[in-house]
Amino acid sequence: MIALYIVLPLAILIAGTAVAAFIWTVRSGQLDDVDSPPLRVLFDDSPPRATDDAAP
Amino acid sequence: MTAVAATQLAACAHCGLPVPAGRDTYCCSGCEIVAGAIAANGLEQFYALRERPEPASTTGRAYTELDDAAFQRVHVDLVEGGMAHAALYLEDLRCAACLWLVESASRCVPGTIEVRVDLGRSRADVTWDPRLTQLSRIARFLDGVGHAPHPYRGLDRDRQRRREDRALLIKIGVAGAAMGNLMLLAIALYAGVFGGMTRADATFFRWASMFVAVPGLGYAATPMFRTAIGALRAHRLHLDLPLSIGIVAGLGWGALNVLRGAGEIYFDSLAMLVFLLLVARWVVLRHQRRASTAAELLLALTPSRARRMDGKVVVEVSIEAIVPGDRLQVLVGEVIPVDGMVVAGSSALDVGLLTGESRPSEVTVGDAVAAGTVNLAAPVEVVATAVGETTRVGKLVANIEALSARKAPIERLVDQVAGTFVKVVTLAALVTFLAWSAIVSVATGAENAMALLIVTCPCALALATPLAVTVALGRAARRGVLIKGADALERLATPGTMFVDKTGTLTAGKLGVVSWRGDLDAAALAVAVESGSAHPIARALRTYATSPHTATQIEEELGRGIAGTVAGIRVVVGAPPWVRARASAHPIIEGWIAELAERGETPIVIAVDGRAVAVAGLADPVRPDARQALDRLVGFGWRVELLSGDDARVARCVGATLGIGAERCHGGADPEAKVAHVAAAKRLGPVVMVGDGVNDAAAMAAATAGIAVSGAAEIAIETADVYLRSPSIGDIAATVCGATATLETIRRNLRLSLIYNLTAGALAISGVIHPLIAALVMPLSSLTVLASSLRSRAFREDS
Repeated sequence: MIALYIVLPLAILIAGTAVAAFIWTVRSGQLDDVDSPPLRVLFDDSPPRATDDAAP
Repeated sequence: MTAVAATQLAACAHCGLPVPAGRDTYCCSGCEIVAGAIAANGLEQFYALRERPEPASTTGRAYTELDDAAFQRVHVDLVEGGMAHAALYLEDLRCAACLWLVESASRCVPGTIEVRVDLGRSRADVTWDPRLTQLSRIARFLDGVGHAPHPYRGLDRDRQRRREDRALLIKIGVAGAAMGNLMLLAIALYAGVFGGMTRADATFFRWASMFVAVPGLGYAATPMFRTAIGALRAHRLHLDLPLSIGIVAGLGWGALNVLRGAGEIYFDSLAMLVFLLLVARWVVLRHQRRASTAAELLLALTPSRARRMDGKVVVEVSIEAIVPGDRLQVLVGEVIPVDGMVVAGSSALDVGLLTGESRPSEVTVGDAVAAGTVNLAAPVEVVATAVGETTRVGKLVANIEALSARKAPIERLVDQVAGTFVKVVTLAALVTFLAWSAIVSVATGAENAMALLIVTCPCALALATPLAVTVALGRAARRGVLIKGADALERLATPGTMFVDKTGTLTAGKLGVVSWRGDLDAAALAVAVESGSAHPIARALRTYATSPHTATQIEEELGRGIAGTVAGIRVVVGAPPWVRARASAHPIIEGWIAELAERGETPIVIAVDGRAVAVAGLADPVRPDARQALDRLVGFGWRVELLSGDDARVARCVGATLGIGAERCHGGADPEAKVAHVAAAKRLGPVVMVGDGVNDAAAMAAATAGIAVSGAAEIAIETADVYLRSPSIGDIAATVCGATATLETIRRNLRLSLIYNLTAGALAISGVIHPLIAALVMPLSSLTVLASSLRSRAFREDS
């Protein structure tokens, strides 16, 4: 079980990296607004009719 | 029931409300303009996206002040590529469809680079190319689709809140990561107990656990430690105190056991506890965040610009430049920017904002006018006597703020429980320690006392309230009832006195024709004469009937009446004395006038060809569902009283329609009198104030709880504990009922979690507890509380 003594600290280190990445996302403001982005993905990209006239 | 009335009338093509007689397709001009703007921009997808139809409103303003250099210096900043950026506060932002509609500005208004909405803050960040378009153009688009923009004044507060939100999120992340890793380590350790693990391996795992738990949880649990210390300093008991004791005892005792290589560790249970608590806290915090504060709303109530008359020249200046003594011009439809005196012209003012009076008040030279009232009929010139914070509305806002700040925090049920809890657990731990020390050894005594402190750490107790409240608030929000937090629910749960404002709450808040006596055909003639007038009575008549005719030779005497010639016939419409002077009135007509006046309606006489033929009764019509809602409230044990700024006679009349006795109808109450009424009733028990206007806001702040109904002024929404988004006041009863049910759920949750603590505590005292049992029972108790919260009948669809 000697491998444990290398793998376990490594696992904790990786988990620490993940936490650091999370802290970066929070600090860079990516999680400031959690209401609007989940709604935004629902919208179609199709332009409104007003600009369709210009399209071929 | 309202359904009967609704089926007879067509539904508004925009919001689905019944269309009043005399209009077609749309229920009001707001919906008509907004629907027009949506169609013109090809944005009909809006109707497929929205969750619930709601009436729209629009101001139709030009927003030229947004292009002003002075405004741009303060609110607009330049970003890369020569683009300009500004934050705007948008009215009525509610759902995905609103978001989509507003953000489509970047496709519909050429030169707009991006519009990004933050729903939670009602904020839109607009980026545009100043060479191609102007901010006012974008503002007009946003206003046209029903979301009137204002300059965003909460930037500093937003920064502060963002800092707090981010700090909490980081702690949640750390606690979550610690929990996941500690559980993996714990599984290995628990498996090792049964599968045979070498002592060296076990020790290594225990050290690894400690390495993750102590810094991770110690950091993540700082919010609880801070509250606990704060509560201790203030000599108050708070639920965070037993939680902190449990966490500190668990971490300290666990670390000690790791160092000495013997004894149990409880890191996994503690990690889950901290994580769940932080998540619950974050969810509750999100519900409590509101977009604006009272202080910033004073400026929103009064315009930011005024038309100053320098001799004969009219100059548009910023409101800050106005000093008492300046002569100002106020056009029709504009808000009067200062307290002052009319020096030229006469008009009708909508003073509802200040007094709640639904009828327009007529002013002429020499009359005093107040800031925040709306000029309805004709341009006037006003000399300023007070500006800014010294105006009546300014003082009112200051008063509201002071009252809100004084509002005593209620003794939360869960904190009462926590108080007893701390005492009982501390005592039990002491007894356990002494008893085991005497019988077996001091070491066993310490072990069992520590185990007791850790396993009774009230996780489920701490989740009991937030879970029940979050479920209730979420369900209520889906029904269009916005509740500000746990406190508001607890305040509403005990029946007491409920004061209801009349205008806009029990009634539609708009003058309308409610009765008609005499020749119905005269209506068309009256409408023809009134077609060009901006007076509210003219508007009410136009909503009541339509006319194919056009009138000529119109002469209008403001506040008295109007006359014109329709198809060769002279038609006179106006107040009884004015019409009597121009036409003969039969005693039957006089009887009708007296009858309508007695009922609190404003009689308007229509004379055709020199003879009075009909009398229209104008009043603010009672909402169709009001009676039913009030009866339900009385059924819950509430004493309902009417508190109105309108004339006492009108208040009594509305009260009679709704089954409220005359002794419980208080008319003619100005904001100060409303506060006095509320304060007097508060000595007898809880008081809830229901209203919609600025004139109710102070009373709402003074009451135990305030409820603002749809269409309320922003300041009323801000002061209120509950905001009903639907125009139906039936939701007041549903809210009160839901609050009671939520409190029931909280009590059930508290009982369930106490049963868990009792069981775990008994096991610890008897010395048979094992960390695995704690690790299994703790999530079980939390899940029980969660299930109980979800089962709650508060704000269910069928309630």
